[in-house]
Amino acid sequence: MVTPIQVTLGELNLPLLAPMLIAIFGGLGILVIDLIKSNLHKSLYVMLSLMIFGADLFTVLGTVQGRGFFDLMLFDGLSIVSQILILIASMLFIPLALTSKRFHEFSYPEFFALFVFMVAGLQFMVTTDNLILIFVGIETSSLALYALIAMHNRSHSFEAAVKYFTMGAVAAGFYAMGSAAIYATTGSVELWQISEALSLGGGNANMLLITGGAVLILVAFAFKLSLFPFHTWAPDVYEGASAPLAGYMSIVPKVAAFTVALRIFSIYIDLGIESVQSIILILSVVTMTLANIMALVQQDVKRMLAYSSISHAGFVMAAIAIGTTKASTAIFVYYALFMFTNLGAFTMLWISRHKVKAFSDRFDHPYEKFAGMIKIVPMGAVVMALFMLSLAGVPPFSVFWGKLYLMSSAVDAGYIKLAIIMGLNSAIAAYYYLKLIVFMFLREPIKSVHIVHYNISRPLMVVIGIAVFATVGSVFFFDKLLTFVYAMMSVSGF
Amino acid sequence: MSNILTILVFFPALAGLLGFVIDKNSTRVYGVAIAAIEFILSLFLWMNFDSLNPTFQFIEHFPIVKDFGISYYLGVDGISLFLVVMTTFMTLIGMMSMTIKEDLKNMVITLLFLEMTMVGVFLALDAIMFYFFWELSLVPMLYIIGAWGGPLRVYASVKFFLYTFSGSLIMLVGMLFVAYSFYSAAGAWSFAITDWYALGFDIEYQFWLFLAFFVGFAIKVPMFPFHTWLPYAHGQAPTIGSVILAAVLLKMGTYGFVRFSLPMFPDASVMMITPIAILSIIMVIYTAMVAYAQEDMKQVIAYSSVSHMGIVMLGIFAMNSEGISGSVFQMLSHGIVSGALFMLVGVIYERTHTKYMSEFGGLASIMPKYALVFGVMLMASVGLPLTIGFVGEFLVLIGFYKVSPILTILAGTSIIVGAVYMLALFKRSFFGPVTNEANRKLKDLNANELVSFIPLVALVIWLGIYPKPVLSIIDNSVKTTLSIMEQKAITPEAKEIIISKNSKEAK
Repeated sequence: MVTPIQVTLGELNLPLLAPMLIAIFGGLGILVIDLIKSNLHKSLYVMLSLMIFGADLFTVLGTVQGRGFFDLMLFDGLSIVSQILILIASMLFIPLALTSKRFHEFSYPEFFALFVFMVAGLQFMVTTDNLILIFVGIETSSLALYALIAMHNRSHSFEAAVKYFTMGAVAAGFYAMGSAAIYATTGSVELWQISEALSLGGGNANMLLITGGAVLILVAFAFKLSLFPFHTWAPDVYEGASAPLAGYMSIVPKVAAFTVALRIFSIYIDLGIESVQSIILILSVVTMTLANIMALVQQDVKRMLAYSSISHAGFVMAAIAIGTTKASTAIFVYYALFMFTNLGAFTMLWISRHKVKAFSDRFDHPYEKFAGMIKIVPMGAVVMALFMLSLAGVPPFSVFWGKLYLMSSAVDAGYIKLAIIMGLNSAIAAYYYLKLIVFMFLREPIKSVHIVHYNISRPLMVVIGIAVFATVGSVFFFDKLLTFVYAMMSVSGF
Repeated sequence: MSNILTILVFFPALAGLLGFVIDKNSTRVYGVAIAAIEFILSLFLWMNFDSLNPTFQFIEHFPIVKDFGISYYLGVDGISLFLVVMTTFMTLIGMMSMTIKEDLKNMVITLLFLEMTMVGVFLALDAIMFYFFWELSLVPMLYIIGAWGGPLRVYASVKFFLYTFSGSLIMLVGMLFVAYSFYSAAGAWSFAITDWYALGFDIEYQFWLFLAFFVGFAIKVPMFPFHTWLPYAHGQAPTIGSVILAAVLLKMGTYGFVRFSLPMFPDASVMMITPIAILSIIMVIYTAMVAYAQEDMKQVIAYSSVSHMGIVMLGIFAMNSEGISGSVFQMLSHGIVSGALFMLVGVIYERTHTKYMSEFGGLASIMPKYALVFGVMLMASVGLPLTIGFVGEFLVLIGFYKVSPILTILAGTSIIVGAVYMLALFKRSFFGPVTNEANRKLKDLNANELVSFIPLVALVIWLGIYPKPVLSIIDNSVKTTLSIMEQKAITPEAKEIIISKNSKEAK
């Protein structure tokens, strides 16, 4: 006999849904506008998307933390931090559509609608502790993202989209199997109930199933976060996608995936299940090292940046294994700082995007293209060098602070060796970032070209300006950022 | 003038930023003017420095990242004061004597930024700030070597960068560990060096932390097995790059030992006296022998740099005030002398476009003034009494004699071996008949060059005859450092060594 559910509207706590609803209705609105009057200029949609994200961000900031919607939604500090990152990165991404040259994908309003839907999906993903809703969020956002990649409309892009789609489907399969295993052992898909069930019944015969479930989910996230050995798709996909989208993919879906990974694996870490912890640690160390070594031999800047962002993800993944509040804070502080720099670097590639491959048959952005850039566009070379130095972790630029804090959290928790490995990896990484600087500053231009600033436009310069400002000025807001994120993390118990 | 240190650190960088506006043909004068103002500021600091107060002065301290204990913390004591003055002085002289024509504007701006980082390293009292300037100094140097250097410049500059960068990342882990230990002990985060001085460690921790810092500093010095980047960097760098590299950048490493390693890890430092002394002596003798085998004048001086830095290291690990004060003094003298020698090689390279000794011979008869200046600097480098080089070297040897007479005698051969390769260089290039007829047309030092060299010669002789005004201030602060070490040392052996080696004070 099923008892009828008695829920008042107040208990549903619908305001929690407001941020996602804004995004969803905004996306629908974009489609409706297109239906009413087609052939509107992309700038309209860019501005509309910006407004949607702005409104979304304000609602997120104004929402009271809590549960709602049959306890499916969990609007805690973790979710707020991660939504803020997602939205700010999206707001930085959208203006990049306003290039001086015309690109195919931005002429479709659907591009913007899909993009907004994707953000809504990511928001759902981070605002729940229900394994099923997480799955729905992942799939919503991923499906939208596959389409966005393919819309770049080059053979490489189709390849990238199909590759990403296939990998994503495999990951989704792993995720579903892992969730099923966990459900089978604990009888719940709510993480807090799973946590309770595990701590009560931990240590009995189904340990294999418990860890097995975690490992399957870990594999799924390893695909999403491009961790070794599930990283092989990343460079190809980044190369095929347009530069800003590649930059976006190296940040936003990863932030969301880290949020969920933190939610799921912190249960295991807190329970002291060492096998899971050591698997994560090993994955993290191997990822950062191998990706760094692969990045050394790349001939294309975009592929180098792809490997570099894999390495950064591996770096951050270690924080999940460390499992202290400081480490959890470090994840988001790191990504908050990395976001500006990395998006800035990809935007610089976007500025230099040209239709014909002038320098190499194979690559769009070989190192040679940037040779002697200091002589052609001095300002551009300086800015790009700033981003590279920041990525390498040279103080006082933004990523240094993230690295510092993350390494410090490793040292605090007694992982000295990990911290040393992180340090050495940063040193390896410095080489390939330097390589670009060497090309830009110390080599002669190969062909007299205006190509390195082919695509420049005012909105792009604004985005670059913001990125430079955040990269250079990070020392002034790191304090505030740290306090805010730390407070949010400790409130939500991570 | 409570904020003079901030001005000293950031004035060159600010001027560098404004330098982008200056017209190409006027930047040189601009650079010299800024460097001169900076030098006058540093002299002003010296004048206002209370020489009786051995602790940090002109302190500026406020938090940057409160929750994480990172603060803006500047201060100067007797040890750093003269390194700052030497830095600004050598930058000024380097700027004046610069002969680069290509992209001069970029060079001037880069030098000004470099000056900020160098002054910053010596004045920062917060470990993160120190690290910030320490790492940032690599970038301008990378550009200077890479853009204006010789044929292998890119290789040399990247090697220089990666070598130092890897070492300092290990050091960073060490710093984080110290900060965490401070947090566990005191309940609050702090990266302030003065706070760290109050912190004691177990022997085992001291040992590992000492090693972590050692890697960072030793690569910069450069200590013997890590020295391979230096000959490349010097060989490829333009004159100004070599001058700054030898005069200032190498001192950062030895300064780091005095500022961090000794007072923070006294027991480990005492434990490491013998291994480090042996490494230093290898540095002194081995590189001197390598220097003798060089054909290239610049390489001779580059290797002699390593050799002299060995003496500096030895003095630091003498653990007594003579040794350490002598080391700090030797840092200054080496800065001035090796800077001058690199400039002198630059002068002849400028005229003949070669640095090989075999191309020269009998230069003394063609360029008497040049030969004279070279001779003075060479004598100072060898450590002839009444020159600046003698004071530091002598004090270091006296200081280390108390630790180990045998090792001191070995190190003392540096004066002899140094004389061998330096005089060989002098003989082959300056004396004898003029072997290369083309050299007969060489012009002697011009007015511009004389203006650069006369102050250097004056300094070399003045401080050689009367080092007291400098030495007494250094000595004051060194004694404070030693008393910190003495209080902190936990093992009786270390305490005993530190006390017994400073018996003079005990009286």
